[in-house]
Amino acid sequence: MVELNSNTDVLVIGAGIAGIEASLMLSKADRNVHLIEKTSYTGGSSIKYEEVFSNMECSTCMVAPIQQEIIQDKNINLLTLTEVESIKGSLGNFNVRIHKKARYVDMDNCIGCNACFDPCPVSINNEFEEGLSKRKAIYVPCAGALPNVPMIDTKNCLRFNGKECSACKEACMFEAIDYSQKDEKTDIKVGSIIVATGFDLMDTKKLQEYGYGKIDDVYTSMEFERLYASNGPTEGKIILKNGKTPKSVAIIHCVGRKEKGYCSSVCCMYSLKFIHYLKSKISNINISELYTDFCIPGKSHQKFYEKMKKNQVNMIRASDIEVKKQNNDINVNFNIETGEKKNILVDMVILTPAIEPRNTSIKLSKTLGISIDEYGFFKENSSDTSSVISSKPGIFIVGCAQGAKNIQDSVSQATAAVGKILSL
Amino acid sequence: MVEKFEPRIVGFLCNWCSYAGADLAGTSKLNVSASLTPIRVMCSSRVDPVLVETAFLQGADGVLVAGCHPGDCHYNEGNYFARRRFAVLKKVVEALGLESDRLQLSWISASEGQRFADVVNDFNERIKKLGPNPLRKKKSL
Amino acid sequence: MERKIGVYLCECGPNISEKVDLDRVKKEISSIDDVAVVEKFKLLCSADGKKYLEEQIKNHNLTHLVIAACSPKEHEITFMEVCENADLNPYLFQLANIREQCAWITADKEEATKKAIRIVKAAVGRVKYHSSLEKKEIESIPDVLVIGGGIAGIEASLQLASSKRKVFLVEKTSELGGLIKNFEKTFGDMKSATELIDNKIQNINTNENIKVLTNCEVGEVIGFFGNFEIKIKTTTGENEPIEFNVGAIVVATGSQLFNPEKTPQFGYSKLDNVFTSLEFEKMNLTKNITLKNGKTPTSVAFIHCVGREEKGYCSGICCLYSLKYASYLKEKLPKVKIINLYSDLCIPGKKDEKFFNEVKSKNVDFIRSSDVEVEKNKNQLKINFKNKEGKKNSILVDMVVLAPAIEPTIDAVKIAEITGISQDKEGFFAEEHEKLNPISTSTEGIYIAGCAQGPKNISETIIQSEAAAGKILSSLIPGKKIKPEVKTSVISESLCIGCKTCLTVCSYGAITFDETKKISVVNEVICRGCGNCVAACPSGAASIKHFKFNQIYQELLEAVK
Repeated sequence: MVELNSNTDVLVIGAGIAGIEASLMLSKADRNVHLIEKTSYTGGSSIKYEEVFSNMECSTCMVAPIQQEIIQDKNINLLTLTEVESIKGSLGNFNVRIHKKARYVDMDNCIGCNACFDPCPVSINNEFEEGLSKRKAIYVPCAGALPNVPMIDTKNCLRFNGKECSACKEACMFEAIDYSQKDEKTDIKVGSIIVATGFDLMDTKKLQEYGYGKIDDVYTSMEFERLYASNGPTEGKIILKNGKTPKSVAIIHCVGRKEKGYCSSVCCMYSLKFIHYLKSKISNINISELYTDFCIPGKSHQKFYEKMKKNQVNMIRASDIEVKKQNNDINVNFNIETGEKKNILVDMVILTPAIEPRNTSIKLSKTLGISIDEYGFFKENSSDTSSVISSKPGIFIVGCAQGAKNIQDSVSQATAAVGKILSL
Repeated sequence: MVEKFEPRIVGFLCNWCSYAGADLAGTSKLNVSASLTPIRVMCSSRVDPVLVETAFLQGADGVLVAGCHPGDCHYNEGNYFARRRFAVLKKVVEALGLESDRLQLSWISASEGQRFADVVNDFNERIKKLGPNPLRKKKSL
Repeated sequence: MERKIGVYLCECGPNISEKVDLDRVKKEISSIDDVAVVEKFKLLCSADGKKYLEEQIKNHNLTHLVIAACSPKEHEITFMEVCENADLNPYLFQLANIREQCAWITADKEEATKKAIRIVKAAVGRVKYHSSLEKKEIESIPDVLVIGGGIAGIEASLQLASSKRKVFLVEKTSELGGLIKNFEKTFGDMKSATELIDNKIQNINTNENIKVLTNCEVGEVIGFFGNFEIKIKTTTGENEPIEFNVGAIVVATGSQLFNPEKTPQFGYSKLDNVFTSLEFEKMNLTKNITLKNGKTPTSVAFIHCVGREEKGYCSGICCLYSLKYASYLKEKLPKVKIINLYSDLCIPGKKDEKFFNEVKSKNVDFIRSSDVEVEKNKNQLKINFKNKEGKKNSILVDMVVLAPAIEPTIDAVKIAEITGISQDKEGFFAEEHEKLNPISTSTEGIYIAGCAQGPKNISETIIQSEAAAGKILSSLIPGKKIKPEVKTSVISESLCIGCKTCLTVCSYGAITFDETKKISVVNEVICRGCGNCVAACPSGAASIKHFKFNQIYQELLEAVK
């Protein structure tokens, strides 16, 4: 099926959960893997969650061992801060030019002591923490990030903006900080490629009716995940912007569904998870779920739904939802099934925005020469063959890069793509 | 003259969750009482009554067994067995003539560095109040 | 044999050296019996450090190595490699964590130093009792048994079969194809299901590396990952059983529909013209959607969620196939009135909403309803229900199609028994891990795919089958030996009292009972090394390599001083 002198190495783009699982399986089969990751850390979105449905398993405990494995695995060449610049060739013989951004910290010398953070005079919003806390210009995104080596954000670093400063270098006892590092462009040869670039949440500021970005204490689900996380900006304390503990919360489903034209499939389940989150920290908190249809397919999901419902949650089928500020409260207006208008007053609102492909997907699709569908996700070749096959032989698309899905399905797709590669 | 009581606490930490949580307390530079010496086991289900008995007989003032939260055990159900055994272990401690509070079972996940610190520090305070293990002096030479 | 323990204290730059008085540690450790050398070093994990260690091991002829540095989670593997390079068995080594769990958490230097001394002494005491452990290698058979000849089994077989790997595809009926053979089209793109399945079957039949055994069932499975002995019996009972060996098994036994007779309110099997979805599919495939009296229906109602409450889960595909049926009807009987009675619309795929809107635009009604009942009304069917406002309502239709829940096949219990894999409460086969491993089971070498694992659509089934193939392709490589876990449990023949307690606590079925000797035996290939059996064993017969009682005891002794 494939020529004799074709390459058996694999390029995996994206070191989130799908990319990590694929890489480990390929390594087990003695394949060489180049695992490239755009950010400075591995784990993708999965390490942002404290717990995952439906067992409420600790997400970090689940992911940390495999993050550690890919760092130590001899067959896996993990390259963070790296993206694909261009490719040539075809199945069995791809020539890929990758662009590795300089970290300005030597990964061999750095032992992860974090001594360089304190002296840094710069303070910026931490993107990993969804802007809920600050970081320095030299930083790791969160406690426990792997690889445990910081990077310098040159856009905000004083030195890289022409000012005098070597505070971090002076604080480092291991000569790990190297301002002279340069971006590197390397050519690698691989036989097949797996695209596992994950997802972003839709920008909810565009949807005026939810008040996001205008009203305090209206959060996206990802922001709320960070609030609850024990390694997050509040060490897991669920508090409002004014420091008080919320007494009532409204969780609003299907945010952006109409605009996007598809159901993001995971929001109903994680909204139920949020009930667990809230009740575990604030036992008498009043919770309202405003939803359209409860989408919980799967053999274990309804059980979870029944369990969470026992928590005295107001399950309200609602439409035409509007979020407005009312004195010290947040007023959520909506229509119920009968058409009647209703409203509830709450302290906090959590939105479940639609899952969309990364904003770099269009560029990546052009670089790789694979199609994207009308929603911006990478397009599968055909609906009656495997959904991991892209429009180009030898390039596979897995996880949320191909379509919104949960961790189980992302991992299944990653494993399937490996199956296809190993059987070539 | 009363010597200042510095408890000696043995901590059995499971490799996948609680040991990682203890490491995270370290990377986060939290303050954790030095009275606890960690002993790594692969799973909290490894901790058997003989180990706990031996620890106390050898003079341990407190024994902490830490594992993954229920449902998270790397080996599926190991921590459930640890939990069941724990009830028996409490009786064993009492049979030795010690307060059963000297033995504690805690669930600590890999991301709970602060929780590890809190659990160890609280346990240390409790053991300090209970005083030294009376069996310590009875060790024959 | 004379022990020569080398102890190396890592300064880790200032990280350890500033918080712990390493000179004092060095002095204390040097006086311990069998410690041949104690040295400090700036950074042992660096290239220089590793080279230094190798030289030290060789020069001093060290029999054991202790390194006091960071967490084993960081560098245990690094230093084990150093041992291997210096021809020292990597298990005669202990890494004492005096960084994360000492220097970094203890503010007072005196306390930190005393703790570090305790930790290093514990490591030295322990390492004396370490044994050399060898990584085992076991021959394995790359061939695979696939149980079930539906789309899941077919897809897995096609992915797996190669000149170096034979696949035995066992199907209990006389034909391959499973449920899809009854469909005209697949939902979403409305492409031909017949073409899909026929092409796949054609590919199976022309593949010389796949042996198809129809009219056959699995009779016996003995052995373990890499070495399963299989006995197949024919359902016709005529021929001799077929025997062969494989390295892995894929269970793809599919599903069946919940029997709506258990929910009598829908009138199934009592009233004419109440059909299950599968019956409707079959009717449609023969191009003959008619009522019992041969007339064509003018109105059809699809009742969703039949058996959902009884089963306790949503089957995930019924809303979508109801849309497919609406499409069938609109094509063949354009004037027919179509009503869907549903509770929650489940359309999670990225193209599903578009499909829903397309179908809805063809004048297909959707009524959110509850408490649905079907009764006879002259020669029609009357459906009573409560609408979304809770008010009672009813409609009259010619035909009712029920969407019953998807449940595991009746064979699931037998298959679970024969293979030793577990079923969950719903009867589906239990995956190893809900998130990270929905394909493997707790029995290594046995994988599950398709509706046998849980209700799902064709696309998801194909993915799971390919994933099962992927798991096997990466772990069972022709010519490559399997390397099982090293730190496994061992049961002493002489101490075992035959109480079988260990069997009850092993999550992996790694322990079997030898009826002749009346003792428990651990299968080292399957054992994962958790130590549960060791703690459960009342006679002390069970011990676990590298975490033996006397090894942990040595750590204990130092920890309490």
